[in-house]
Amino acid sequence: MTVLRSGERVSAGVAEVLSATPAPPSRSRRMSRRRAATAATPYLFLAPGLVLFAVTVLYPTLQAFQMSFFDWKIVGSATSEFLGLDNYARAFTDDHFWLALSNSGIYMVLTVAPQIVIGLGLALLIQKKSPTQPLFRVLFYLPVVTSWVVVSFLFKFLFSDGGLINFALGDLLHVTNGDTAWLADRWTGLIAICALGVWKGIGWSMMIFLAALQGVPQALIEAANMDGANRWQRFKVVTVPAIWPAILFVTVMLVIGGFNVFISVYLMTGGGPAGRTDVLLTYMYEQAFNNLDFGYGSAIAVILTIMVFMLSVVQMKVFRDRNGGGAQ
Amino acid sequence: MKRSTIIAVAVAATVAVSAAGCSTASEAEGTADDPVTLTFWGAYGNGGNSTQAEVLNDTLIPSFEKANPEIKVEYVDIPYDDLLKKLTTSAAGDELPDLVRADLGWVPKFADLGVLVALSDEMDNFQELADATYPGVLSTNLYDGKYYGLPLDTNTRVLITSQEALDAQGLDAPPATFEEFAAGADALSDSGMQVFADGGLGAWNISPWIWSGGGAITDDEVTTSTGYLDSDESVAAVQMLVDLYANDQISNGIIGNAGATSTSEGLPGGNYANILDGPWMNGIWSEQFPEFTPIYAPMPAGDGGSVSVVGGEDIVLTSTSEHKDAAMKFIEFTQSEEFQMALVPTGQLTVISALGDQQVELLPYLELFTDQLATAKARVAIPQASEVDTILNEALVPAFEGTVTVRDALTSAAQKIDELLAEE
Amino acid sequence: MRKRNAAAGNALRIVVLSILAIIMVIPFLYMLSTSFKEQTFVFTNPPQFIPDPATTANYEQAIESSDFVRYFLNSLVVAVIATGLSLLVSSMMAYAFARFQFRFKEILFRVLLLGLMIPAIMLIIPQFILAKNLNLLDSLLGLILFYVAGSLALNTFLLRGFFESIPAELDQAMQVDGANAWLRYWKLALPLAKPGLATATIFTFLACWDEFTIALTLTNSPENRTLPIAIQLFAGQGNNAVQWGLVFAASMIAVVPVIIVFLVFQRYFVQGLTSGAVKG
Repeated sequence: MTVLRSGERVSAGVAEVLSATPAPPSRSRRMSRRRAATAATPYLFLAPGLVLFAVTVLYPTLQAFQMSFFDWKIVGSATSEFLGLDNYARAFTDDHFWLALSNSGIYMVLTVAPQIVIGLGLALLIQKKSPTQPLFRVLFYLPVVTSWVVVSFLFKFLFSDGGLINFALGDLLHVTNGDTAWLADRWTGLIAICALGVWKGIGWSMMIFLAALQGVPQALIEAANMDGANRWQRFKVVTVPAIWPAILFVTVMLVIGGFNVFISVYLMTGGGPAGRTDVLLTYMYEQAFNNLDFGYGSAIAVILTIMVFMLSVVQMKVFRDRNGGGAQ
Repeated sequence: MKRSTIIAVAVAATVAVSAAGCSTASEAEGTADDPVTLTFWGAYGNGGNSTQAEVLNDTLIPSFEKANPEIKVEYVDIPYDDLLKKLTTSAAGDELPDLVRADLGWVPKFADLGVLVALSDEMDNFQELADATYPGVLSTNLYDGKYYGLPLDTNTRVLITSQEALDAQGLDAPPATFEEFAAGADALSDSGMQVFADGGLGAWNISPWIWSGGGAITDDEVTTSTGYLDSDESVAAVQMLVDLYANDQISNGIIGNAGATSTSEGLPGGNYANILDGPWMNGIWSEQFPEFTPIYAPMPAGDGGSVSVVGGEDIVLTSTSEHKDAAMKFIEFTQSEEFQMALVPTGQLTVISALGDQQVELLPYLELFTDQLATAKARVAIPQASEVDTILNEALVPAFEGTVTVRDALTSAAQKIDELLAEE
Repeated sequence: MRKRNAAAGNALRIVVLSILAIIMVIPFLYMLSTSFKEQTFVFTNPPQFIPDPATTANYEQAIESSDFVRYFLNSLVVAVIATGLSLLVSSMMAYAFARFQFRFKEILFRVLLLGLMIPAIMLIIPQFILAKNLNLLDSLLGLILFYVAGSLALNTFLLRGFFESIPAELDQAMQVDGANAWLRYWKLALPLAKPGLATATIFTFLACWDEFTIALTLTNSPENRTLPIAIQLFAGQGNNAVQWGLVFAASMIAVVPVIIVFLVFQRYFVQGLTSGAVKG
């Protein structure tokens, strides 16, 4: 997970997680007798992966969870003092924690909606097979495959005072006077960070929607046509319900990614000025690695994890409810 | 706690220990056929600056290995921004290298963790080596009455300006006092050039102004900040900068605008008239802005004189090292004339006071830095030094933006620093 | 009338897409252009799109001042082996989740899901100590192990979807012919899930190629260094100006292989998404 979870790159597959339902029972019942003979088979398939996962991911996770209850000393020889829930209580009375939390929330809101709307719009525009389609697909997807470190440096460069964004908005378009200090203020700083998030992410959501759109039953669209539905009505009545699972999937993944934003903030503003663009993970990072307060840092990380997990569960529920009455 | 007493005790203890001879290390000694390998971490090559790492790898280490065939030294270059994280993780796993070139602010932090060897206890000739260095630089290694490292290289910040800036301000010489500095700002008011730029409001940035203005961050014994950081002198010095900032005469890089034109580009580019910076800039400019000729001058003087801040790195020995004797040989080597002078041309000032003149002969522009160092002060050396920076920064940014008064900002910062000091 | 409308609509569509595509691509082009500039010309007003004078000095410095070939090969070896192993192990898990009923199936699955939500940065210290105890510090093997482990959850989720979309009848037919579970997985499921495997390959390869934190933490010696660390070594710190040309030259060297991998696989990739990942 460590490897693959940098922000929005988290991929398609998790749709499966969130919509995970057991395989249809009918089939399994039919095959059950044969299976009894080989009851060990599934476990043999699972063993290598699960052992690896348990040792290298789960076990460290539990250790990190444990740290959050201590004034945790990084050096083994020093005794860590047990604090119970103190680190958690501290977070709730820490103004900077709330600031960082609200910034994470703002990032989430400002990046999720555009990625869904623009991503869907792009998918609708290029869904028709044409000679130009592969080209556009590649161009829009390019930012997704580029490393976060590289694009974070790139956007810091573009949003710097003498950078391309100011030139474009000031000298070319004349919408600003071209000397906005983007990274000097909480709100403009967050806008720059969000701009990177959206730019990097819309190709990904576009790709998912593109795939989903190809699954919209043509017969339904034609039927709607015959009924005299206009384009908007067709979109609302046929397309949206058909791609509803994809919309929800993208939303859930982007929400998780949004709350886990770290590297772009760390490299673009470093949380500055004066910590005002800090998000939860940059604040956690500072507590843990600059102040060596790993107990408090872990507590922040645990709060984040629980919050994201709960949000995902809520979204899954909405997804199931809506899906029950949906087109599919 | 009384630091001076502790120091006295420590010094006495050191002498006693040295007399008894402390080199009873039991670890295996290397031989020429089967040398021990020392691992040495640092960030000499930071920012694509390869010259320092090259001198170390191609000249100094081979020379040391030739003189000590039973020892091999493996230097590992680590990105500066990540070195602290890597040290922390390695400390947690008992996997630190033998030697670290540590930012001087980190020494108390790691000494506090118990992962460093107190060199003042362990090295026979520590006192002799320590006496040869500048006291301000040496003091950054002091934690809880013991010295946990020796200075490796040092630097300080001086005023750097350009002919273009002097012409624009109608000055014959760089501003020598706060008054001349502020007057220069007035002369620039419509020129589009800002009088000053800096990259933040931490102790490294703001201390020279406070000290030169006659103020202080804490008392000399580092027990309290209230009454020092919020003294009239400290407030007046910061107020001068805040007033200039309000008139748009200081770049907003100082409040943490990561997108501001950096000081090293803004000075040659004519955006800024003055910056405070270190000796390494010469090398950077000669490579990136070969046309530019910097003009160096002392930190402008206020009521407190011209007082700048000590920077640099220390070399420390980790307590998990299995080759402490060999490592101490290398530490001794770093204090030699050969080692110190080889790094001077790369922008590292020597820490040996006796080599000051020689260094100036080699590179005359360093004279000013050497002089400035004579009065320069070190930042608060406590394990939570990085938190002091955060406190100063978070208190002063609103003051520069004009949402709180300078006095209120410094008063609240002083209270928070007091709390940190009380934890100690 | 209708035809003309359609043609106009199509033209409009292309125009809108082109404008958006230009916005998406400009940052890359500007990065490319900056990588050929001397430091003095990095910030000019108006900005230079075509470097004048153009210089390859940044590339020369990037390649000369560090052992780029070695880092490149290290990254490649680690990414390729980790991707291969991860696909093997996670496809086995995915197959079990997709095709078998067994106790604790849903619980095991949800534990994997939870694993996706924990901030990676919090695990650095526990993982470092683990690597030390397993004697895997400062080795490419250690990186490979943690990369495989880190990508398991996501790939399992992804591939489970693909395996479930393969008609169960095919499986049963093979079973009637006497094929055991391994053969059904190896000869039937894997070939039919090729698009899914391609998708997973891209994601895993990209993630391993870009990974920074674990690589920095677990490796020390320059012989085991990977590309992202080399790039970070070029980026400056604090007040010192970032040498943008140099950083971007190093970045281009790291980015281009990824783009090539993507171009090669992107055909499968779209198929993969279509047939597996989002099937309502």
